[in-house]
Amino acid sequence: MLDQKLSLEILKATTRIASSTPHLGQILSQIIDVVKNKMEIDACSIFLIDDAEKVSLQASSGYGDAGMANLSLNMGQGVTGWVARHKRTLALREAMQDPRFVYIPETVEEQFQSMLSVPILREDHCIGVVNAHTRDKRYFSPMEIVVLETIADQVAGSISNALIYSKNQMMIKELSILYDVSLAAQSTLNPELGLWVILSGITRGEAGGFNRAILFAVEGEELIGTMGLGPDSPEDAQRIWTDLGGEGKEYQIPQRVVSEEEKDEYSKSNFNKFAKTLRYPLKKNDNVLAEAALKRKIVHVENGEDHSLISEKFRQTFGVDSFAAVPLTAHEEVLGVILVDNRYNAKPITETSLHLLARFAAHAGWVLENSRLITKLVATNRELLSMKDQLIENEKLTVLGQLSAEVAHEIKNPLVSIGGFARRLRDKILPAPNPSLNHQDESVFNYANIILKETQRLERLLEDILTYPKTGDLNLETCNPGDLIAESLDTFQSVLQGQDVTIETCIQKDLDTVLIDPIKIKQVINNILSNALESMPHEGKIRISVYRVDEAEESPALSIRIEDSGGGIPDHALDNIFNPFFTTKKTGTGLGLSICRKIVENHGGTLRVENFKNKGVEVCILLPLKNSRDCTKKEYPSDGRPEKFAGDEI
Amino acid sequence: MTEKKKKKILIADDEDNIRFLYKEELEDEGYEVFLAANAEEAIAKAREEHPDLVTLDIKMPGMDGLELLGKLKKENNNVPVILCSAYGSYKQDFRVWSSDAYVVKSADLKELKSTIKEILISSGK
Repeated sequence: MLDQKLSLEILKATTRIASSTPHLGQILSQIIDVVKNKMEIDACSIFLIDDAEKVSLQASSGYGDAGMANLSLNMGQGVTGWVARHKRTLALREAMQDPRFVYIPETVEEQFQSMLSVPILREDHCIGVVNAHTRDKRYFSPMEIVVLETIADQVAGSISNALIYSKNQMMIKELSILYDVSLAAQSTLNPELGLWVILSGITRGEAGGFNRAILFAVEGEELIGTMGLGPDSPEDAQRIWTDLGGEGKEYQIPQRVVSEEEKDEYSKSNFNKFAKTLRYPLKKNDNVLAEAALKRKIVHVENGEDHSLISEKFRQTFGVDSFAAVPLTAHEEVLGVILVDNRYNAKPITETSLHLLARFAAHAGWVLENSRLITKLVATNRELLSMKDQLIENEKLTVLGQLSAEVAHEIKNPLVSIGGFARRLRDKILPAPNPSLNHQDESVFNYANIILKETQRLERLLEDILTYPKTGDLNLETCNPGDLIAESLDTFQSVLQGQDVTIETCIQKDLDTVLIDPIKIKQVINNILSNALESMPHEGKIRISVYRVDEAEESPALSIRIEDSGGGIPDHALDNIFNPFFTTKKTGTGLGLSICRKIVENHGGTLRVENFKNKGVEVCILLPLKNSRDCTKKEYPSDGRPEKFAGDEI
Repeated sequence: MTEKKKKKILIADDEDNIRFLYKEELEDEGYEVFLAANAEEAIAKAREEHPDLVTLDIKMPGMDGLELLGKLKKENNNVPVILCSAYGSYKQDFRVWSSDAYVVKSADLKELKSTIKEILISSGK
């Protein structure tokens, strides 16, 4: 039948094809070249059968520019479909007259009269069909039929290898996309960025390939639209696809990582804003999103019109009839749902893309979980740090309290003796001003005086320390804030001598009385005033303002502000101003401000120091006014216990 | 001022030098001063000398000043008692209220002296 020379030639050509390239497209076009070379025909086409039993055109030659694009037949449909189903060759002199012929306008088959259609068989499976067409009406000789069948037999192996190769390539691509997305998503501590990476993976043409994706987060009994990625309009979609260079653009790894700028662009898009307005109840049998979340499975809706869980409004909101919802889970818990659709290219959602979507969703679930854990961690950490600070502060105060009480007590008595006798010594030498004092007496007088002065300093230190642990005991009285300031200033005037400092007061009229320990609060005010004075050794201005503060959600308070123009607190000292024993002064105990704050806090108030560098310091005291009306009792201890022992005689 | 008209003041304090200082200072002020180094001595001296005024240190070994205050007041409620202490924390102790004054110890005895003077005048002694 087939002479030896021809069969050797065919064998040589097809073997060359098998070893030349792994790419399907190249293999098919080479096969067509061989067919056209060995046979007297005008056009040749190759169809392949996919998993869904669709017989689709893969390569062709000789049909003209317009011909045969995207042609896909069902098994058994038309001549090609028949050949595929029956795995038998058909040679037709008048193809269009054959009852199996189905006219499909796109095929431009009307220009061809005769047709030879041969199945490509591999292990008794039909994997495709190769067709040869001629313009002239003619019979195909048995020889020609054998030639085409031989070619088909020879290339079947190459084609199926190329199919496996391309499937592998797809899987590798998919895996590498998933790898990059998971890397990008998990290497960032910014959960928002991680989620953008995933949404962009879902919507990029070369990866998930969906037109739009919206992330919903579960919040209580609701699904809240959190972010959305997709074109704002068909025009926008067109622009994006043009920018991307079409769907066939080669996948590039760096594209997977979403930059900060892209993130900003995404979050500013109208579609994201639209996504953020969406809310759906997380209720059984209510909507597809809740269905996906509650049943923890992908819900794929092909035709929304017929779906019981799709309301008319839902379809209008999204403008599509076909979509898929995939749940996001982590640790058995549903954290959200991603909704995807292909609004702009109206491509059907395929099984393959749903699988890929499920994988993206798994990553998104972990990113959400990570973000939740990180947020929790950060909050806990912050809490711990502030607790640590508080503990340190408390410990400092406790140690101070114990230490001070012990030390002070042991020191006080000897100090009284030393000071007392130094005074007697001095007074013995100079009982009254005496001009007849001789030089030696004067020296002794001075020595005694130094002892006395130093003892006084030590006594002041002890007084400060001993006051410290006891600031909790308040003798509350109803006081007029104006009088309080006036009295504080009275006792303060004498200190002012020699300094050119003006004190300005601004006290709100008709202020309510306030329930405080007047002695302690005056102590606070005096302490702050003397700090202010010390910061202005030559001249300056102190401004005291007193007024009522009514903040929403806070109970009314009395505000006492004391500002000075002493240049502020130097940076190195600022952290320590409330630290007991910290001082920048030559003769100070450093207890002043920490005692002040403790006193104010024992009143239920706050003391804040605001530092204005190179200008001055502003101390703000807030004392709650809430007690001022309902407490009529004149005096009781700070813990609120009435004085049950008052009047008792021992 | 003759010896007989001098007011008698009893000082109870466990610190030798403080007692000595008080004695010197108060004698300079014209008082007759008796000293006790602990509570027992103070009770004995009070019975013996009938002082016009007593000053008590609160923190003393054995019976402390507050307890002593109760004992002294029980024997003679008319004797004014001034409590002296190194620090003011006892002011919150209710037993302090039966004393006539509370003075925080200081090298400067001005406050103690003026308090003694006031109390003696107001108690008519």
